Amino acid sequence: MSILANKDTRVVIQGGAAGVNAARRMAEFCYLIKKPLNVEAFVYPPDAGKSNEIPYGSGLIAIPVYKTIAEATKHHPQINTSLVYIGADRAMKGGMEALDDAHIKVVSMITEGVPEKDAKLLGAHARKLGKVFNGPSSIGIISAGACRLGVIGGAFDNLVLSKLYREGSFGVITKSGGLSNEIIWICSQFADGITTAIGIGGDAYPGTDYVSYLEMFERDPQTKAVVIVGEMGGDLEERAAEWYGAKKRRIKLIAVVSGFCQESLPKGMKFGHAGAKEGMKGEGSARSKSDALKKAGALVPATFGALGPAIKETYQELLKSGQVKEVIEPATLPKLPKSVEEAMKADEVMVAPLIRTTISDDRGDEPCYDGYPASELINKGYEIPHVIGLLWDKRLISKQEAEIVKRIMMLSADHGPCVSGAYATILAACAGIGLSQSVAAGMIMIGPRFGGAVTDAGRYFKHAVDNKMSVDEFLAYMKKNVGPVPGIGHRVKSLRNPDKRVKELVGYVKSLNIKTPCLDFALEVEKVTSAKKDNLILNVDGTMAAVLVDIGFPIDSLNGFFILSRTIGLIGHWVDQKRQDSRLIRLFDYLVNYAAPKRREVPPLK
Amino acid sequence: MAKVLEGPGMGLMKKWGIHVPNYAVVTSAEELAKLGQANDWFKQSKLVAKAHEALGSRFKLGLVKIDLDLKGAEAAAKDMIGRQVGSITVSQVIVSEMIPHKEEYYCAVKSTREGSEILVANCGGIEVESNWERVKRLTLEIGQAPTGEDLEKLVKEAGFTGALVKKMAEFAGKMFTCFDNEDAQYLEVNPVVLRESDGELVALDAVTLLDGDAKFRHPDWNFPFAAEFGRAYTKHELEVMAVDSKIKGSVKFIEIPGGDTAMLPAGGGASVYYSDAVVARGGKLANYAEYSGDPPDWAVEVLTEKVCSLPGIKNIIVGGAIANFTDVKKTFGGIINGFRKAKSDGKLKGVKIWVRRGGPREKEGLDAMRALKDEGFDIHVFDRNTPLTDIVDKAVQSKG
Repeated sequence: MSILANKDTRVVIQGGAAGVNAARRMAEFCYLIKKPLNVEAFVYPPDAGKSNEIPYGSGLIAIPVYKTIAEATKHHPQINTSLVYIGADRAMKGGMEALDDAHIKVVSMITEGVPEKDAKLLGAHARKLGKVFNGPSSIGIISAGACRLGVIGGAFDNLVLSKLYREGSFGVITKSGGLSNEIIWICSQFADGITTAIGIGGDAYPGTDYVSYLEMFERDPQTKAVVIVGEMGGDLEERAAEWYGAKKRRIKLIAVVSGFCQESLPKGMKFGHAGAKEGMKGEGSARSKSDALKKAGALVPATFGALGPAIKETYQELLKSGQVKEVIEPATLPKLPKSVEEAMKADEVMVAPLIRTTISDDRGDEPCYDGYPASELINKGYEIPHVIGLLWDKRLISKQEAEIVKRIMMLSADHGPCVSGAYATILAACAGIGLSQSVAAGMIMIGPRFGGAVTDAGRYFKHAVDNKMSVDEFLAYMKKNVGPVPGIGHRVKSLRNPDKRVKELVGYVKSLNIKTPCLDFALEVEKVTSAKKDNLILNVDGTMAAVLVDIGFPIDSLNGFFILSRTIGLIGHWVDQKRQDSRLIRLFDYLVNYAAPKRREVPPLK
Repeated sequence: MAKVLEGPGMGLMKKWGIHVPNYAVVTSAEELAKLGQANDWFKQSKLVAKAHEALGSRFKLGLVKIDLDLKGAEAAAKDMIGRQVGSITVSQVIVSEMIPHKEEYYCAVKSTREGSEILVANCGGIEVESNWERVKRLTLEIGQAPTGEDLEKLVKEAGFTGALVKKMAEFAGKMFTCFDNEDAQYLEVNPVVLRESDGELVALDAVTLLDGDAKFRHPDWNFPFAAEFGRAYTKHELEVMAVDSKIKGSVKFIEIPGGDTAMLPAGGGASVYYSDAVVARGGKLANYAEYSGDPPDWAVEVLTEKVCSLPGIKNIIVGGAIANFTDVKKTFGGIINGFRKAKSDGKLKGVKIWVRRGGPREKEGLDAMRALKDEGFDIHVFDRNTPLTDIVDKAVQSKG
């Protein structure tokens, strides 16, 4: 048997994340005792209509979230208990809503910091309705082998260690959530464990008192003794003593009260004026409470440390008198399945990773690029080209190489609004499309006819240099196997109208004391091709390609330089259009040659 | 509970129609002089000046001066402001008019388990404390307000007669209204006096304890709460409170000068048992502390640093029950960082550390504590199989 929470308890949890966490803990307990999850619904208006996934064993259970208690109990008429995890400022309203629902008999409030007046109103309302309002600031209620409400009992290992999978003979009532597990543990080590443990909450005036629970325990034949963990202040312990002493009780009572230290604290360290003044008769002190309990016949150990032996003594007496029998523990208990992370930590499973990376790692406090922390790179004067070097080529490029990369980026950041990429971005911007989609529209223009020649130009120039081809051999090879030479030729620029960007880049690279075999070869090729036709000059793509191959970037990364730098321009064009609130573009008829057939009659359908 | 100083306390009473003397809270003699020019009552009546701080026995300390004129009040303010009393500096003085009176009474409203109680006595001042049986009570259920008849019956019981019955009943009714509307936990006026000039009942002082948890529905509570134990908070205490207000979970810290056993336990309930055990074994507490509700490790680290900074400590008790959901490894991580910092600052020389704890990741946490031995800490680590407060016995018994 148990009190308050038993195998028939069905729960609605009022609240968000904290409530979901409690449901998870409750599911762990249900799994341990091989019972279905006892949480039927959540009430949390912001998430109404959704469901919360609660792990149970190795599976997941979806628990619906409702807007109101009435909706929850309408769909789940078996609900008889509510756990309140709502914030302190709304807790009273939530508690009242639950108390007023005919289905609900027990409301346990976990919320801390609820105003005293609100807690008293809830307590009074519950008494009027003949229901139980437990808390606020309750850690929960647990009945061994039957039901867990809230996180009381702690982690799964502790549930097992404290033998909460099966019933014992001791009831527990505590004000302190932190001590509830300790007492449950002691009961399982020095005796046969607990029936029900209740956290009544540490507030000055909790919704219930020890007496109401003592009466329930007295009526529960399985409970043979009750352990009370009290505190200074208030008079709940004195009332419990009065109840216990009033007549012969079936249950044995064991109690400890904290707060003796108050007697030796410096004068004036007493908390609160009311207590001090009213305390002239000694009420509310740990000593008065202890004395009252002793006088009523309870076993009151001198210290908390002596509680274990006191429980043991009581248990031995119960054994001797035949009121309890030695417990035989079950041979096996369910084990909570480990998560993959936990199992890996314990070296119990090996997982084949889904993907592999060799360039970056952000699992620490900041991302590392090829092993170098980003902030350290900044603080030591490295710049964006070095980050490109690390992420694209896994090497820390030199200052000189970084300068070349920087110049390439600057020279290719934007080529005006008319080129395919920028035009596509502008078109998208004018159609009201967002930044990333518009930039992507521009980006997908990059191909063999627009900026996408960098990689191919690099590939073939390198092929020629590696195979020590002459320019003639190279051109013959290209003609036979590829077609026009990538990186050669421009739509508007020519020998007579040279491309300043190419001149600038070539001039700079040649001014450095470095070997540039690809660039040299490309320039030789240009001499031959431009002699044939004056716009067959080395273009920006070809120049970038040759230079980047010369400083060692991998062929496959080369188009990336164009994509990256041109993105700067594409973003600029989108922002520019946005800023101008550009109108929607429709192509003018006169820009289209309508070469389609003239209007004609549609033949009848055959 | 949250104690409120006299000034804001009287302000709340005034808000609900209780007569209070004219008063002003000032931070300098100059401010008082200016107010004195602008408000006639400073010149028309005798004045009382009191240090407006959470200090016990202000009379003995010379921090209450009576029967003053404005000049005298200015001099008293000048004398009091800036005075150092223990850890606190007097920064405010409350100056109020003296109310000529012959009769003194008592009225209070206090929170009880079922609701509240109105207390009335037809004696006041120190007389009421020695004649506590003369205090009569009216018990009220939560949600219930006293009727005029209830109140008149109460004050008659307390010995009021004649015209005073109605007046005192009204006064007590207003006290209850103030108590109820302001989420108070305790309101006391001692003495309530009969003003000779107009025969009105006036609250001569105010002890006000409000429910700090209800602050969210009182936007006009724009005053700070004062420490509840007869002294102001220390710098370290205020720093820990500042951390406490920022985090999920909680950290608490109260200094007790002269002790040698420092407390760093977990959980509100267990912490008191640990303190009890220290006292029961004849040890001397250096502080009260606790952390609970799975606070972040940095907050526990701050708390640890404060504990390690306590002067003259010989033992540190890192006690705790079996946690429900506080991550032992993580919170111990904060404590370990705090210990390391303290040690590198030259603290913890000759200090023994005693650890007992259980809960989520207890093994990892306790192992990490044990490893501190290798770093030269004098640390003794126990697990859930050692009864809760046994480390206190070991600590208090240990020598050298």
